[in-house]
Amino acid sequence: MSTASLIDRLHPLEIKVLTALSRHQSQSSQPALREEELGRTAALEPAQLSMAVEWLLAKSLIRVESEHITQIVSLTKVGEHYFEKYSPVERILSAIRDASQAGRRLTIQDIRSREGLEPTEMSGAIGSLKKDGAIRIAEGGQVEATGTPSRTAEVLRSLFQQLRGSTRELQAFPEPMRRVIEQHAVKRGNAREPFRIDERVERWYALTPEGKTIAEAITRQGVGEEVSQLTPDLLKDGAWRTKRFRQYTISLRPPRLSAGKRHPYREFLDLVKHKLVSMGFQEMRGPLVETEFWNMDSLYMPQFHPARAIHDVYFVKEPTHAREIAEPFLSRVAAAHRNGGETGSTGWGYEYDLDRARRLVLRSQGTAVSARTLASGPNVPGKYFSIARCFRYDQVDATHATDFFQVEGIVLGRDINFRTLLGLLDLFAREVAQAKESRFLPAYFPFTEPSVELHVRHPRLGWIELGGAGLFRAEVTRPLGVDVPVIAWGLGLDRMAMVALGIHDIRDLFSTDLEMIRTTRGHF
Amino acid sequence: MPTISINRKDFERLVGRPAIAAEQLDAWLPLVKGELKDQDSDTGEVRLELQDSNRPDLWSCEGIARQIRIKLQGAVSAYPFFKPTPRPKRRIQVMQGLERVRPYIAACTAVGYTMTGEGLAQLLQTQEKLAEIFGRKRRTVSIGVYRLPHIVFPVTYALVKQDEVRFTPLGVEEKMSPREILAVHPKGLEYGPILAAHDRIPLLMDEEGQVLSLPPIINSREIGEVRVGDRELFVEVTGTDLLMVLLTLNILAVNLADRGATIEAVEVAYPYATELGKTVRTPFNFQKARSIPIKTIEDALGVSLGPDRIRQALLAYGYEASATKDRGSISVRIPPYRNDLMHPLDVVEDVAISRGYGEFTPIMPSQFTVGSLSRLEEVSDRIRDMMVGIGFQEIISNIMASRLELIDRMRLAGSDWDRIVEVENVMSQSYACLRQWITPSLLRVEAASTRAFYPHRLFEVGEVAVLDATEETGTRTLMVLGALIAHANANFSEAHSCLDLLLFYLDRPYTLEPISHRSFLDGRAGRIVSNGLAVGLIGELHPEVLEQWQVSMPSVVFELEVDALAERG
Repeated sequence: MSTASLIDRLHPLEIKVLTALSRHQSQSSQPALREEELGRTAALEPAQLSMAVEWLLAKSLIRVESEHITQIVSLTKVGEHYFEKYSPVERILSAIRDASQAGRRLTIQDIRSREGLEPTEMSGAIGSLKKDGAIRIAEGGQVEATGTPSRTAEVLRSLFQQLRGSTRELQAFPEPMRRVIEQHAVKRGNAREPFRIDERVERWYALTPEGKTIAEAITRQGVGEEVSQLTPDLLKDGAWRTKRFRQYTISLRPPRLSAGKRHPYREFLDLVKHKLVSMGFQEMRGPLVETEFWNMDSLYMPQFHPARAIHDVYFVKEPTHAREIAEPFLSRVAAAHRNGGETGSTGWGYEYDLDRARRLVLRSQGTAVSARTLASGPNVPGKYFSIARCFRYDQVDATHATDFFQVEGIVLGRDINFRTLLGLLDLFAREVAQAKESRFLPAYFPFTEPSVELHVRHPRLGWIELGGAGLFRAEVTRPLGVDVPVIAWGLGLDRMAMVALGIHDIRDLFSTDLEMIRTTRGHF
Repeated sequence: MPTISINRKDFERLVGRPAIAAEQLDAWLPLVKGELKDQDSDTGEVRLELQDSNRPDLWSCEGIARQIRIKLQGAVSAYPFFKPTPRPKRRIQVMQGLERVRPYIAACTAVGYTMTGEGLAQLLQTQEKLAEIFGRKRRTVSIGVYRLPHIVFPVTYALVKQDEVRFTPLGVEEKMSPREILAVHPKGLEYGPILAAHDRIPLLMDEEGQVLSLPPIINSREIGEVRVGDRELFVEVTGTDLLMVLLTLNILAVNLADRGATIEAVEVAYPYATELGKTVRTPFNFQKARSIPIKTIEDALGVSLGPDRIRQALLAYGYEASATKDRGSISVRIPPYRNDLMHPLDVVEDVAISRGYGEFTPIMPSQFTVGSLSRLEEVSDRIRDMMVGIGFQEIISNIMASRLELIDRMRLAGSDWDRIVEVENVMSQSYACLRQWITPSLLRVEAASTRAFYPHRLFEVGEVAVLDATEETGTRTLMVLGALIAHANANFSEAHSCLDLLLFYLDRPYTLEPISHRSFLDGRAGRIVSNGLAVGLIGELHPEVLEQWQVSMPSVVFELEVDALAERG
């Protein structure tokens, strides 16, 4: 990198340090400068200095010339307290003195409770006093003053005075005082001590040859005052013209944003919805709580059908039944089940239960919405779709959800027949699944005849079943008042959605993990 | 949709083709609406799922092979035993009273086929699938198969008292009375409830008083346990629906005939009238010819096939078919082992399957239609766009939730909000109710996402269900926007600003009216009123609600009924 572009990338703090070192070098035979002096000459706060030094070291523009470790003594909070309220040693001595003046003698326990001292403080102080020969323990555990003054008490008092509000190097104290300091310094496991010994690392910094070149170049050319942020003020008075804008390291990762975003699965469903609308489909909606009539009877599923049992559909606890089912639909559907009614069918030939028709269930198939649309006087020709939430009595696991979306619909028209049914499915294969290959297989649904399964070759999954469809049976359409052929179709899109979202568990379509929702990207 | 297991070698023998390739099987499966589940190349076992619940004749190796064989031969081979003559040698006498318990029986004999291991496995599987699925767990149809040489005809289908006889049932060593069987035998316990309403129960006995079985519970051990090597069988079906009983026997008869047995009919004499009279010869072909206009078939298929090709297709699918004189219609009769022709259009699908769906060229429906979204969806989409713009992350949740989440954790027990749609047959307590508002769904996310970086701004536009006696279903489905803000300084004012902006863009002037709602802090909750109508709620969630959900950040929410906003002002 050229000298000029290196200079452009320097932070103002870095420039201050470089110029300070350069100035010092030109005036002194000793090229290195102590950290503290460097801060003073460069006029930087300690935090600024340490940042600038770190950056310059990383760029190899300065180096550490030498390093010196000094032990520094200071008073702790406990020390300050001892200075003002006396240390345990002093307090024990004065307690004994006061007691003996009053003609009493105290045990260690008496002193401790009288002075309110911690056990550790107490035992340390008693130990020191005994060693100094200032006290002795008489028979019966009573403590007596010997009359000899305590050396420890004197040294501590002098140290408190010297160290109060300032710090000093440990080496500056004579040997006996150093011993007392070390003995009463904060150590791991004993924080209640009056002194702290800190290690201060002092470094001497000097310019590297490259740093020297840069610093000289800076001195030669001078640098404009550098700013990091363009401000309204700079724009207002045109002052930006005399400023230099620091260049950023743009390769760093930016901070994360929390943004507003659509849910990835909803994005997928929106896409499907828009495709269907663009193909001429009109949206239809229906209720979450349905009657067995609209959910199943109107679709010519006999009331004894195995898929209607208690283990397939959720039944509503309260209310259990709808008030009534709209006529003429109820009578006509009942007749279709009993003997075909006027549909041209033989019917299922069983006794249709009118009460059962009113039983409330959670909608178990989107086709219920289609049935309601058929009964509501739909357009002919007409195309309809719904993306309906449905409920199944299933143990929830990686492939089964308790509620899920079904994409379903109908197509009504005089030109509807088996071949236009296949044509519509072909269109779905191309438009919805982007599949180039598709095939049709015979299928069975209680409400359609003929019935077809649409299989497509998915670019990532291979052959998959994309949907099922068929022509609604006359037993379905006639009782609902429709006399043109009707295609019923449904698409199973959850597997496609899971591939598009890169997830493997169907429960993750409705994930509660915000981090996952924020970071899931759809590949549609 | 039963799944059955077949043996490849057995299947090849029944189709009449050696070494059938996998691709060939694939190409044939559409004929039976079958799907290959898995196969074991070592044992030759193939598992197939049969989709058509109205075609129980296909739920066996014999049935699948038959449909394919008919396609290969172009027509079904004759089953002479369906002819009404001669009068059968063997008889079953039905006794009075059975019309109230289990009225119908049908039977035949099958001789000349030596039972193989695979043949027996298929017979047992067919028996099980027919009785369990088609026969609704033996309630409407059950089946018994016996060793013919041990039986002295005529057989009596009797109604007896529960302690009147004793016999040794399958699976035990000693003789038991029907009462004991119903009380302690595993099959008695499983199927006994079918007879629970009756003091006297059905029993099948021969001329010498030997018990054949206690339908629909269990066979006798001596006569009713068929083994590999048996050459002479007696097959009977009992049940509550004559046509279903006959159909089941017809299927069993053609299956055994396909394996090489000679089927002989049995005459059933009833003391009461049936749809087919008092004497019925079984197996019985109850199918009648129907005439269907060629135009009906052609219109439905969208292609002009003409009577000859339609006839050919139907013959190759097992029908009897012939064009009428004027060639305007086709007279068809489906084979006696099927009974799924309810409507003329049912024939259409069989024509299409027989010809192959691949033979039909898809064409697009040509009529013009206009696509559109519902007003509710349009407004929902606008709101979703705005919420994203204001900086909210969209959520989609299960509509089902627990009472704990919807009521207890929200401090709503006993309040006006404690009226929700609950399900009667709960599978899991976590999914026992429908949500009545969105906030619990958003709290569910919040509780699971304490480690996702803050702030959290979540919203969902989704359906909820509320009880409403004025509606047809006693409930109403509503589209609701729910929004939640959670971070260290989240407060009412921030939510209020978001709501204010949203309603400004929707051009909905509104006011907030203070309310007391147990989910919110007092004095920090309001009802959103627009055009004199309550359209939503806003408030700071009560700390106890947050504790219940183990949410550690202040959270504030608002909800808006999209239905109310979608009404044009």
